[in-house]
Amino acid sequence: MHEVAIVQTLIEQVEDEVTKAGCAGPVTRLEVVVGRLSGANADSIRFAFELLAPDHALIEKAELVIDEPKAICRCLACQAENEIDELLPACPDCGSTEIRFEGGQDLLLQTIELEEESS
Amino acid sequence: MKIVAAKKIMKANEKHADLNRVRFRLAGTYVVNLMGSPGCGKTTLLEAMFAKIREQLAPAVIEGDLASAIDAERIEELGIPVVQINTDGACHLNATMVAAALENLKCEEIDLLVIENVGNLVCTAGFDLGESLRIVILSVSEGDDKVAKYPTIFKKSDILLVTKIDQLSDGRFDLDRVKADMAHLNPEANVFSVSALTGEGMDEFVGWLAEKAKKSKQK
Repeated sequence: MHEVAIVQTLIEQVEDEVTKAGCAGPVTRLEVVVGRLSGANADSIRFAFELLAPDHALIEKAELVIDEPKAICRCLACQAENEIDELLPACPDCGSTEIRFEGGQDLLLQTIELEEESS
Repeated sequence: MKIVAAKKIMKANEKHADLNRVRFRLAGTYVVNLMGSPGCGKTTLLEAMFAKIREQLAPAVIEGDLASAIDAERIEELGIPVVQINTDGACHLNATMVAAALENLKCEEIDLLVIENVGNLVCTAGFDLGESLRIVILSVSEGDDKVAKYPTIFKKSDILLVTKIDQLSDGRFDLDRVKADMAHLNPEANVFSVSALTGEGMDEFVGWLAEKAKKSKQK
């Protein structure tokens, strides 16, 4: 469950960004990106967020929205491009092991929405 | 109102990892992040490795475990500087924990620092500690399907070290399969096979590592 550590970092970053923007909050909505190959699990992130959010007044009422982009498995043998959820040992089309993975590795804090009372 | 951040969530850890990296570079310390399951032989490997390497390079160790100082005591018995980190339940080390441990080590006197991560084949892969090299261990007793089953950590490592190869004789571990799985997942990684018990393969691995550490010092 290293997702708890990730969410702790996420919350610190949100607090940083909100302070930097000169806002008071509270945060109503958070958009994050958890790529399928990022090594983090979106359900565990949600669980950890529910666990930790009540301790932080700034985000305790925030809605967490998670985008989970897939990765592309590109085959160098048959040129196929397949959307994938996980690392594969071989091309799903031709079985070649000459494959490359692209995208789906991001773990990002995308946007923070706050109540309309910014200074 | 909306703030567009578009920033990596692990950035806090990465910042601390970069600070560690600068500190290591200034001190001329080569740093290995050693990862693998509980019981795969991380500490036993270190004991065998240091016996060979300590004449050429001054080693030190940071031990990461949930609890106890059992591993640190084993390293201490060799007369090698060691700091134990107890994570109190956390499944991995992060860069901040390593920075705190460094308060108790003199980096300038260390050529090769091994950070023995918490025994875990999953979470440790996600946290940069500021290391120069990532080694993942797979012991023969764990089975030859683990590269395929836990791909993330193998994809993110520079070296795969297969340990306990004295147990290969029972024929249930297909070393070629492991090498093939690794080659598909991570073509750039080097694979070494060793037995800390019999010493088989140790010279090759230790020689390679010592060379790497010395080269980084010259830079």
